[in-house]
Amino acid sequence: MSTPASLVPEGDTVEQRDRVELSVPARPELMFLVRMTAAAVASRADFGYDQIEDLRLAIDELCLAVCGEDPTEGRLQLLFKWTDDAIEVVGLYDPEDDRAVKLSGQPASELSERILDALVDEHGADTVGGCPRAWLRMKRRKGGM
Amino acid sequence: MSTDVNFDVAQEEREGVPVLAVRGEVDVSTAPDVRERLLALAEAGTTLAVVDLSEVSFVDSTALGVLVSGVKRLRNNGGDLRLVVTQPHIAKVFEITGLTEVFKIFPTADEAVRA
Repeated sequence: MSTPASLVPEGDTVEQRDRVELSVPARPELMFLVRMTAAAVASRADFGYDQIEDLRLAIDELCLAVCGEDPTEGRLQLLFKWTDDAIEVVGLYDPEDDRAVKLSGQPASELSERILDALVDEHGADTVGGCPRAWLRMKRRKGGM
Repeated sequence: MSTDVNFDVAQEEREGVPVLAVRGEVDVSTAPDVRERLLALAEAGTTLAVVDLSEVSFVDSTALGVLVSGVKRLRNNGGDLRLVVTQPHIAKVFEITGLTEVFKIFPTADEAVRA
């Protein structure tokens, strides 16, 4: 499976070996798979325990932003990539049908926005072809456990 | 009802106060179970209840939203919803969202009941 073009930012220079792609049915009971992947990637990127926990929560909020709290169909696609000092994640929800998607990729609630603001260095959202997309970037903190 | 093996809610009474002991990950999939329990308590006229999160390993904004709804309902009944939080990374979520100003948080269920 090739990486959807909408997941890869223009000018991206991260090598293929430093990327993980995940595509899962956008169902609430599968969000733990996304969190597990985030933890594994963060560990691979040499993040400390506290930041791994932070990333697990931030990814969960990113998924809520793009899928909403009650997605019934479609797939959630995620691209994790890491460099020497940061992890970036892009999430895209493809409803796989013609129904109107009212989601914008913006944080799901004020609480969600506070969490993302506090935990990650940058985050943002837009839509691509009617599909909500969100992204985040977390720098590795020095001296983390 | 959630079938997540990493999640469970048990209810007991301590000194007449209902205590919901939650275990595992509370997210968009499992938070509705907590919501149902809190709704049932509020509809039964409960005024004071405790949610024990000491065995919880993960909470997200949907879980927080459920707890905020719960505390509003019980305060509307003239009561309160108290929390037990012991794990630092769970406490951090309440701190960064400002919810430490909303909830009374205790280190044990006994202290929450007796406060």
